[in-house]
Amino acid sequence: MEIFLAGTPNVGKSVIFSKLTGIGVISANYPGTTVEFSEGEVKFGQMTIDVVDLPGTYSLSGNSDEERVATNLLFHRRPDSVVLVADATRLERSLVLAFELIESGYNVVVALNMYDLAVKSGLKIDISALEESLMTSVVPTVAVRGEGVDSLLREAIRLRPKSAFRVRYDSHTEEIISELVSMMETSEWDFPIRAVAVRILMGDRAVREKAGRQITEAADSLAMDFERRHQESIESHIQRDRFGEAGRIAAEIISPIDSAERGRKTVSDITLNPITGIPILVAVLATVFLILVFGGGFIETLLVDSYEGVAEGFFDDAKSGASPLVQGVLDGVYISIEAMLAIVIPYILVFYLILSVLEDTGYLVRVVSLLDGIMHRMGLHGRAVIPMVVGYGCNIPALLATRTMGSKRERIILAVLITIAIPCSAQTAIIIGALGNYSGAEWALLIFAILILLLGLLGFALHKTIRFEASQLLLEVPELRRPTLSQTLRKTGIRIGEFLTIAFPLLLVGSIILEVMMAEGILQRLVDPAEPFMTGVLGLPAVAVIALVFGILRKEMALQMLIVLFGTSDLSVALDAQQMFVFALVMAIFMPCIAALAVLVREFGVKDAAAITAASIALALTFGAVANLVL
Amino acid sequence: MAKTTDIANVLEVAPASVTQMLHKLCRQGYVKHEPYRGTILSRRGRRIARRIARKHRLLERFLSDMIGIEPEDGHDQACRMEHALSNEAEEALCKMMNHPATCPNGKRIPKCERGIPCEDCTRKALKLSDVDEGRTATISHLVSKDKDELCRTLAMGLVPGATVTVEKKMPLGGPIIVNLKGTRVAIARSIGDALRMVEAA
Repeated sequence: MEIFLAGTPNVGKSVIFSKLTGIGVISANYPGTTVEFSEGEVKFGQMTIDVVDLPGTYSLSGNSDEERVATNLLFHRRPDSVVLVADATRLERSLVLAFELIESGYNVVVALNMYDLAVKSGLKIDISALEESLMTSVVPTVAVRGEGVDSLLREAIRLRPKSAFRVRYDSHTEEIISELVSMMETSEWDFPIRAVAVRILMGDRAVREKAGRQITEAADSLAMDFERRHQESIESHIQRDRFGEAGRIAAEIISPIDSAERGRKTVSDITLNPITGIPILVAVLATVFLILVFGGGFIETLLVDSYEGVAEGFFDDAKSGASPLVQGVLDGVYISIEAMLAIVIPYILVFYLILSVLEDTGYLVRVVSLLDGIMHRMGLHGRAVIPMVVGYGCNIPALLATRTMGSKRERIILAVLITIAIPCSAQTAIIIGALGNYSGAEWALLIFAILILLLGLLGFALHKTIRFEASQLLLEVPELRRPTLSQTLRKTGIRIGEFLTIAFPLLLVGSIILEVMMAEGILQRLVDPAEPFMTGVLGLPAVAVIALVFGILRKEMALQMLIVLFGTSDLSVALDAQQMFVFALVMAIFMPCIAALAVLVREFGVKDAAAITAASIALALTFGAVANLVL
Repeated sequence: MAKTTDIANVLEVAPASVTQMLHKLCRQGYVKHEPYRGTILSRRGRRIARRIARKHRLLERFLSDMIGIEPEDGHDQACRMEHALSNEAEEALCKMMNHPATCPNGKRIPKCERGIPCEDCTRKALKLSDVDEGRTATISHLVSKDKDELCRTLAMGLVPGATVTVEKKMPLGGPIIVNLKGTRVAIARSIGDALRMVEAA
């Protein structure tokens, strides 16, 4: 048995999914958090039920990349039942999607989520009247606390006749629908034929493809005739009638009436007013930077000192009398753990904590609105801000999040900017953890300034070379919410967990190999050929090339490898401030890590991925060389 | 030229009553009567007839398109409503339905007498960016040429008849923040330009 969770963006589908399956999925207070679907299982008695969490979509005929993920799955996999997760405080919008799902013949159960918020704001929702209108079950839920989720599951797997509810469109539209219906064979479709006709008229690509040219051409000429006679498109009429119906139902089942008026008012929001919003944005960014530098540095010292105090003696004991090979392995293990403590825990953890708070408050969407005008000058719209900010954590989710952009070209511009000019948390760890810590915060700030300048220039240059119209921002701005401690910790936990399980084994193996190679004297022979370039052009010690190469596996490994190579976590002994600066700058721009590269290939194809990689290596080395010359 | 007996048949009244009423209308200058040939509307009469026909057909359009009444029913009801409809309501109806050219039976809807072409009247509808901050306006229609963008806009709930309050216009060509039934939506200027608005009085 298979259940889909569908709904408009930012209604809490992923939270319900987590509660049902126990699988941790990242959720946040902005539309478009989920761009890929997650799948999980839940046991109910003897049954095993597959649950799929779909990305949010406003309509079944949406044609943007992110919406297509949801609509394609719904189109091809025909789930046994679809749970429409609705926002109880903004019911009308969700109802429209419910109409579409019911019209398309899915077995729909409605989860009236955030029911507590609706009750708190004084709304009374007549649930049985809603069930009667929609001719299906409606279950109030409070997903964040898990309330109602069990009964929701019970309702979703219960056998029931499909809802016979249909929106009636205006007479001319209905006429066109019946004309199309009479032209098609019911047996060829898994959907009610009426829905097929409507979706063809709405421009649904999957349905049109299946319907064939004859039908779509007939539909188009009918639609054109409609438009000629009404001077208005048939899509407008269809959606207008759906929203009209939703409004009618909402007015009938929600009381008191004046609450509708109350719902219309939104609290004035200083983060959305440019005069106050821009200074707030600057303050937020500065705070994030300061917390990263000082908070991260403080935790690092604490961890490294206590680790050295505890473990150094232990490892020294183990090493004494062992063969050089075993000593190499032990050194590798010792240093890997130290590198983890020095970098991952302090900077990456702190960054993810901050990101989680920014996401859950809904503040990021304010930033999107504030910066949309500026982003347009880079050929992007404001939504690009979110993948960018996510990219400061890790490039992989950021590259996936580029799907929220409208067109392929926008996605590519954004992908280039993310891989080249946005340092991920590992690169930030290098910039702040090494450079900021040993050479001073002003050096780290200088790198961030260079990167932001590069971001602007690169964006502007790409916008000028790849000529096209950027697609336009149209985004719901969620209310600001207070982030909860448990959610923040849970999310940070998931992210750090993913990070550790991938990064630590790689780091461990890498360090052991390196130590062994050093012990056996192989390393020097590999490093020598790179020396003229590394020392001559970049002014770095030749061994740094190893760090650069390992940085391809994972970015933070570059720094960890430096620690391994020099045998100390106090890098100021081995590199002076200028060298550290050059190294950090090269690493910040340098090619994406292997995992990000894989995502690039998958999302954009080999050619574009190779081009982005080549560009990033060339830019990184050029910047490094210039920095070496200037300093 | 209409013969007295024909009028009597259509209206289902006695020919004598028709003759009497025609005399009255003739005195007031609405019709011209030529003995043995029939009656014809005067210029003044034609103007009024055009106005009534316009109201009638707009109402038919409204009844059939907006609320899905069957055409025959719509005709009968429009016959009664046409006399009660104010000129102001007629104008608003025409704007709301985006200046329909014909009634549901295909008869031409006479143009209004304001002496401006319909296109100008359409252009008079405001774009979203013309609505001042803090003002509330209703979407009358959408003029987007890009189908995907149109569908995206509609799916967001920005449909004809939806009422929005403009909260903030972001600087540097940034988006317009509106309140749509309690939900804040950030709308890019160009999408806003596809929305034609009528401000609430």
